[in-house]
Amino acid sequence: MRTPTLAPAAEHALREAAAGLDRRSFLRLAGAAAALGLLPTGCGRAPATLAPPPELALAALTPRTYAVLNAAAMRLLGPPAAALVAERRVDPARTTDAWLARVPELRAPVQQALLVLELAPWPIVAKLRPFTRLEPAAQDAVLDDLMRSRLEMKRALFKGVKSFACLSFYAAPEARALTGYPGPFGGGSDAGRAAMAEAMRYPQD
Amino acid sequence: MAQPGSLPPAGRHGAGILGCVTSAAALPLRVDAIVVGSGAGGAPVAARLAEAGLEVLLLEAGPRLSSSDFTGDEGAMTARLYTLRLASGSGLNLYAGACVGGSTVINDALCFRTPPEILDAWRREGGLESFREESFAPFIDRAWADLAAAPTDRAHLNRNAHVLETGAARLGWAAHAMARNVRGCSNLGLCNFGCPTGAKQSTLVTYVPRAERAGARVVADTRVHHLWLEAGRVRGVEAHRLDPTTRSPREAVRVEAPLVVLAAGVLETPAILLRSGLGSAAVGRDLQFHTSLHVTGRFEEPINGYYGPTMAYAVTQFSDVNGSGGPGFMLENVAVHPIATASALPGFGEAYARAMAELPHLARALVVLRDRSRGVLGVDDDGRPGIRYVLEAYDRRRLRDGMLAIARAFLAAGALEVWLPLNGLPPLRSERDLDTLARLLFEPSAASLLYAVHLFGGAAMASSPLRGACDESGQVFGVRGLFVSDASTLPSNTGVNPQITIVANALRVAEGIVAAHPRAA
Repeated sequence: MRTPTLAPAAEHALREAAAGLDRRSFLRLAGAAAALGLLPTGCGRAPATLAPPPELALAALTPRTYAVLNAAAMRLLGPPAAALVAERRVDPARTTDAWLARVPELRAPVQQALLVLELAPWPIVAKLRPFTRLEPAAQDAVLDDLMRSRLEMKRALFKGVKSFACLSFYAAPEARALTGYPGPFGGGSDAGRAAMAEAMRYPQD
Repeated sequence: MAQPGSLPPAGRHGAGILGCVTSAAALPLRVDAIVVGSGAGGAPVAARLAEAGLEVLLLEAGPRLSSSDFTGDEGAMTARLYTLRLASGSGLNLYAGACVGGSTVINDALCFRTPPEILDAWRREGGLESFREESFAPFIDRAWADLAAAPTDRAHLNRNAHVLETGAARLGWAAHAMARNVRGCSNLGLCNFGCPTGAKQSTLVTYVPRAERAGARVVADTRVHHLWLEAGRVRGVEAHRLDPTTRSPREAVRVEAPLVVLAAGVLETPAILLRSGLGSAAVGRDLQFHTSLHVTGRFEEPINGYYGPTMAYAVTQFSDVNGSGGPGFMLENVAVHPIATASALPGFGEAYARAMAELPHLARALVVLRDRSRGVLGVDDDGRPGIRYVLEAYDRRRLRDGMLAIARAFLAAGALEVWLPLNGLPPLRSERDLDTLARLLFEPSAASLLYAVHLFGGAAMASSPLRGACDESGQVFGVRGLFVSDASTLPSNTGVNPQITIVANALRVAEGIVAAHPRAA
């Protein structure tokens, strides 16, 4: 499916409409638009592959926002990360849920942001179906549109979702392995201990 | 304990917890002094008052952890030790410590004396005579000694610091290693997640134990909600005991004391005052930060910047304090841990994953901007704090210039490519790339990460209640016995890492309280 990009005129109109709104108001506006857009974006659930495992009792996220966060993390953090999330070896949404349970003041804005990404239709978010039901390339197009938008609050939406994806994904030891970081205290390996020593030696020493 | 029916009015947000006041076996009902907050602003006061013979209760909203609890795990420790607030206006993330020891547990152990230009401005513009250099210097000296601050030798400069040093040297910029408050640092690179060896001289291992040795009682997991006031003086505090696991309020408690010192930090102290219906119009006003952002460079050789002191080297060429006539920002190297690096790297997808896979070869540095912008903190009808902080154009230009300066230093040091923290911008590979960005209009919402950990103001000292919340001694105007001793009393940002300034001011406030207290030894 070809994802429509936000036409300059529509974006201009949205920018005008959003002028003077803070981020919370924007999310409310976009949330309302999402509700109005339920038909075009689809009322269906997120794909079963993105559903939380049955044994997981979510404390802050809903099954829908759980799915959105993991779907976004898979596109934001690149193919190696997507593989780990798809295989459920790393679960950023579960980690985010646990954090939000301890930080109640962040629950509402994060939930709202994820719902906007999932449900808000064009022209607020450049898509006509739920984010979790788009093909990967179309999801990338949505994220790219948010990131490059001239509308400040769309960029803020991108930034917020990416922040939680990064925070929760790289908290997992399996994810850190993708980076070459041996772990704290050298990770208990000879290579890690060598890296610790190397960090304190200048190349010319 | 007072019965709910006898509680005095405590401001429009105060009534919420009165109906559920219950017994709190772990807390005394009456003490000589309550100190709220155990970080750089609170723990020194608790220690000094206890040593003067007062019965002191030190309350901390966060948990009490010790070196053995600090696993070094970035994700787990960030969740346990930090509090995060989002400021509207420019999308800043605001971080502070949330445990016994406060931000001193998670800071980078950097120590600077308060710059003379800052002290001079506080005295000249604020009428605060206590901040004459010769008057304040003894408190700085004492803070310096108590925290074991000392210059950083070359054995504690890692490659990440060396990259910035090399770039600065090749460009002829003023730069130096920064002093740190450590004893026997093992170069683990875990300063931000609680020092597992106890080498960092946070208040957790200095003033808090000192206060306890002098008889102070430290109670963690207890968040002060508002003050108990009567006839123009403070009578105590009302607080919530928090569930250690969920951090949810468990029970409400009240402790009586004729002396209360607020040191809950800029994110909380002004909110407590506002919830208590207190303070002049200045409460919650004039917040000022050091806004920061990170620049990342990739090098041929391994840097392994997640090991070694998290920060140790500063470029002072662009500073506007300590005699430098620059535009007003410093550049400092900063650790390359996975989560922090992932948050700052711009973009997404395959290219982003490739950059993260190069983590061992990445170096990072940050801009510490001496903001000119000022913000405001308010509380909503439920007493929850909210912060608005709009970065003015002048600050945005200097953030851009700071980013470009780091990029220039990294390229001069041999970086293969450099990422500015701007989503959508490809990596820079040459000086020519920098030239094209020199006129870039920096938009905060385009930044992958924009944040502040150095927070100031909201209950500033001033010569009159028209201009600030507290007088020069730290006492809140119009409320006898109520003092503020944390960074919220500072009239402006400091242009340098503020740990020593906050501790020194806390010692000064404590000394004033002791001198005036009839029962203090």
